[in-house]
Amino acid sequence: MRRMLQGTALALGLAALTGPAAAQEITVVVANMSGYLDPARDHSNVGSQFYFNLFDPLIHRDYAKLEPEWLPGLAVSWQQTSPTTMELTLREGVQFHTGATMTADDVIFSLNRMFQADFPPYQVRQRDRLANFDRAEKIDDRTIRVHTKRPETLFETLLNLQQLFIVPEAYVKSLAGDPNALEHDDYEAFGQKPVGTGPYRLAEFVPGQMVVYERFEGFWGVPAPLAKATVRHVPEVASRLTALRTGEAHIATNIPPDQLAAIEADPGLKAESAQTALFHMMIMNVNHPKMQDARIRRALTLAIDRDLLNEALWLGKAEIPASHTLREFGPLYMPELKTFRYDPEEAKRLLAEAGYDGFEIVYDHFPNYYTNEVLAAQAIMEMWAAVGINGRLNQQPAWTGGKPEMMVRTWSNPMYFADPAGQFGVMWAPGGPAQSEGRFNTDEAYAAAWERFRFSADLADRKAAYAELMARIEADPPFLPLWRPYESWAMRQGVNWKPQPGHIPYVLDFRAGAITLDAMN
Amino acid sequence: MTALAAPRAPGALARLWAEADAVQRAALVLALILLALALLAPLVAPFDPNAQSLLARMRPPAGFERARPGHWLGTDELGRDILSRCLFALRLTLGLALAGAVIGLVLGGTLGLIAGLLGGRVEAAVMGAVDAQIAVPFTLIALFVLVLFGNTLPVLVIVLGLYGWEQYARIVRAETRKLMAMPFIEAARAAGAGPVRIARVHLMPNLVSPLVVQFTLSLSGIVLLESTLSFLGLGVQPPTATLGAMVGVGRDYMPNAPWIVIAPAVTILLVTFAVQILGDWLRDRADPRLRPR
Repeated sequence: MRRMLQGTALALGLAALTGPAAAQEITVVVANMSGYLDPARDHSNVGSQFYFNLFDPLIHRDYAKLEPEWLPGLAVSWQQTSPTTMELTLREGVQFHTGATMTADDVIFSLNRMFQADFPPYQVRQRDRLANFDRAEKIDDRTIRVHTKRPETLFETLLNLQQLFIVPEAYVKSLAGDPNALEHDDYEAFGQKPVGTGPYRLAEFVPGQMVVYERFEGFWGVPAPLAKATVRHVPEVASRLTALRTGEAHIATNIPPDQLAAIEADPGLKAESAQTALFHMMIMNVNHPKMQDARIRRALTLAIDRDLLNEALWLGKAEIPASHTLREFGPLYMPELKTFRYDPEEAKRLLAEAGYDGFEIVYDHFPNYYTNEVLAAQAIMEMWAAVGINGRLNQQPAWTGGKPEMMVRTWSNPMYFADPAGQFGVMWAPGGPAQSEGRFNTDEAYAAAWERFRFSADLADRKAAYAELMARIEADPPFLPLWRPYESWAMRQGVNWKPQPGHIPYVLDFRAGAITLDAMN
Repeated sequence: MTALAAPRAPGALARLWAEADAVQRAALVLALILLALALLAPLVAPFDPNAQSLLARMRPPAGFERARPGHWLGTDELGRDILSRCLFALRLTLGLALAGAVIGLVLGGTLGLIAGLLGGRVEAAVMGAVDAQIAVPFTLIALFVLVLFGNTLPVLVIVLGLYGWEQYARIVRAETRKLMAMPFIEAARAAGAGPVRIARVHLMPNLVSPLVVQFTLSLSGIVLLESTLSFLGLGVQPPTATLGAMVGVGRDYMPNAPWIVIAPAVTILLVTFAVQILGDWLRDRADPRLRPR
């Protein structure tokens, strides 16, 4: 009897282990999860993980490739009919997760709520990346036109953004207050119950804790490879790895390089790593009374040996950028610019010249957010001390970047789209987030160079203008890009997933072609 | 008093030692060693606790492969000497925990005593505050205070001091109420003693033993609370080492560099072990009901 019971228990145990594989279900444990899911207002590294499974843009790209190769999304074809106009033909028979069929009106609604934003969180995104769009206009049931204010060279790139994913108009309006009118509360409510056209629908969302995807049978494209994917928030690395080892989870995000050896030594686990398309930054408040002298800020950057930090903290696998530039930018990738370097002697000289009297420079940082952030902060304090800078760490979970007393802090500058305008341009534009938080100044010359870099139709002119901007950043630095981090995802053997090079950072892409499961052990 | 006590001290210590059993003696020796190490950390530590060696990170303790000479307990995630950090951390953590526990004891004990003695509205107010404190998770209060006032060392000491005051208050108030009903208090009162004299002469000696037990319990609790706050980034700022912060950081390195967490964790274990055993022993000796007549 006892033996039979044991046998049954064993069989049940096996069923529990193999069951999910057979049913194509996985559990993912992530380091961070936000309190809402709205791709239009969000541009965080946390949110970017979740949207691609739920929504589609008008224009897709081949995400397996680094170089942009545009593919039909919810538009089947498109043509730029003038420097300021793009005409798109919409896909027919696309269903939202609610069962409703996508119409040209849904598309116009989705675009114009951003182009002519009146909801403050959307206005921020409108200003920092969609400012050149004027309006979207319906021509007939299958055709729309998108108009820009000035000639646009980045139409496809921008129409691919998560901020322009297509959502159902009637559903959004029905959420709060009057079911037939559009209110700001509708947008707030949408963030809790988002609906799109993607291969997965959101089965459950517990803000900050859990996201559950289920295959959407009405999807217009190749069906989702997973029946169900449960994403759980597990902030500690050790707990994420334990969940992986016990089989409770199949994929774990944000694994620091220090853990890779232990994962490789475990026959049941493996890791996929990539240099993620963003920079971890050290930003400096140019308007802090004690930091106004550019020589002080230059010294702060020149004192940091980023190559040594890379070797020590990233196993040498991060990339140390010479300037604010990424290889994703194609012809606009400009590694020949040498904007940032390590030169402790020059740092000492500048400090002496500026008459630095040893005042304390406070370095704010989060306790547990960016990979290697705390280690790097402590190492940077030693490097500063070596040239005579009196640094002090201030670890706190709150964002201090908008406070006038902030001196130096950590930040990241992700690539929001594959163009310098989608990384440097979003954060450091005249009137952009850095300036509006009061820690960066621009003048007319800067604005003129920025305009040329953003809107010139001539590639060489864009590059020349960008070089000019970088020369200004070098002379009067508001930041230092520390590195392009080497991020890793750990998973159980049998799970075949890796970050796709065509995505913005951290996207957990579970669409067909991006993930497969072997019979799992 | 002191003149009389001084010559008696060696004799008293010797008697204490003679009465102790093996475990108590071990705890006493351990406590003295830990105290000495904490006080002498700057002299005993082989390295500057904050000196990094970025290219010699996570080296194992002496005797293991890849160990670095001189670093007996290995190096941590920034190549700092773990032994030196443990010694300095012991110093700071003991200081923090003692300060916090004493603040809690004085605050809670006084309030509890006043509540028990005076009764009525005062008692209701104190016990209301106690209930409020129990109703809200303490970590939440600590986070709130630290975010509001910034996490500097003085604020941290006060927060740690607030931890557990309500336990002292409850215990002292209950004991006081019980004692107040006793005939000897009645007798003292009849003899004309005021509340202050009653509290000082008749109540306090009887309160020592439960307070000592609570003190030892909360001392270990505070060490752990400090660890929690450090992990959330609200403890002592890096690179300063505390035992809790070292455990918090070391937890992430358990699979590949377990020595980073083991050394401070064992130190915490030794501290709490010594404190608990000594507390037990002190209670047995201090409780008038257990004292041999």
